[in-house]
Amino acid sequence: MSEPQVKTHENFILPINVVTKIDVSRLVSEVERVDNDMTAAAVRAKSGAQQPTQPTLSEQLSEFLNQNGLKLDAGLERSTIIKELRLLKDKAPVLHMTFAVTADTESLQKLTEWVRTTVHPQAVIAVGLQPALVAGVYLRTPNHVHDFSMRGALEGRHGLLVEELEALRGSK
Amino acid sequence: MGLFQHKKPVEPKTPQEEATDAVVNYIDETFKDELRTFGRSYFEKIINDTGALFQKDLNTTIGQVNVQLQAHVTQQLDVAIAQVNVELKERVAKQLENQFAEYNREMKDAQDLALKSLTENSEQLQAEYNDLRTMLQKNVADQKVTLTNVFEENKVRIAQMKEAQDLALKSLNDSAEALKTQYAEINDTLKTNVANQEAVLVSAFENNMGKIIEHYLLGALGDQYDLKAQLPSIIHQMDENKQAIVDDMKL
Repeated sequence: MSEPQVKTHENFILPINVVTKIDVSRLVSEVERVDNDMTAAAVRAKSGAQQPTQPTLSEQLSEFLNQNGLKLDAGLERSTIIKELRLLKDKAPVLHMTFAVTADTESLQKLTEWVRTTVHPQAVIAVGLQPALVAGVYLRTPNHVHDFSMRGALEGRHGLLVEELEALRGSK
Repeated sequence: MGLFQHKKPVEPKTPQEEATDAVVNYIDETFKDELRTFGRSYFEKIINDTGALFQKDLNTTIGQVNVQLQAHVTQQLDVAIAQVNVELKERVAKQLENQFAEYNREMKDAQDLALKSLTENSEQLQAEYNDLRTMLQKNVADQKVTLTNVFEENKVRIAQMKEAQDLALKSLNDSAEALKTQYAEINDTLKTNVANQEAVLVSAFENNMGKIIEHYLLGALGDQYDLKAQLPSIIHQMDENKQAIVDDMKL
């Protein structure tokens, strides 16, 4: 029998509702908070002052724990998770996506799904807003930019308009 | 002897005395009062009747006296009024005659004065008329001389003006010809300039058309689409450039 694969930041599965790097930071903070609360509760339980209670978890953290088969009961495991999540936060690939309108959560989750399916399973998105783009997205990877906006589509096509106009005048 | 022993015996009376006693016994006080009352009423009746008759006679007499007195007074008044009328007529006639005589005299004086004044005014007017006639004749003669002179002078001036007008007309004709030529030249120049300007404007318009349409589209389409509507197009474009993105992320 093979040993169960040890979960590290490299094989963490990020749930679809963890979209941005800020969401990952929020996961780290929440696990740290839970770890502190549970450690304190364990100490109090040992002194007989209070029975330990299950901490309240956010939907993002619950989903993350479920998809990765992790539990926060053991202090050592919590510490490992915290360490690995910090590494994930620092090393996760980031795609900067600038939109012409405010991005809604549902659309961001669909884009995240595409990115994690196509580009990298742990990639996160940094969202920006630029109304001058009119429509589309301005995508920036570590070394390149990809202008998929309407402004970008129009910028290189002035010649076409002039040609159409001249053709129209010539036809008259 | 009896009770009436000492009673004197009644002496027999004479018939005269008996009649007097009977009368005295008969006309007692009551009868007298009745007689007095009857007499008083009878007397009052007589007095009233007599008073009424007297009153009637008196009224009749007063009426007659009034009539007679009225007739007398009327007659006297008629006589007096007739006399007063006669005297008043005489007096008024006399006063009127005096007044008329005085008015006649005053009117005659006034007429004399007016006539005198009219005569004097007429003489003065005659004199002024003569003076004015003399002056007018003199003025007419002077005006005649002046007009003759002016006419002569104007005759010369009109001739000169006609000559000047001919010259001006000739000059105007020359100017009109020059203007016509100049107008044609300006018209040609203007047409050329307009054509050039049109070409410049069209060229500038064509050169800037792309920017204009882009600006229009940016203004018109901004905020028209939400991200959900754009999502298929974005994913499609990212799919087309998938390999480049993946390669860049793996570096």
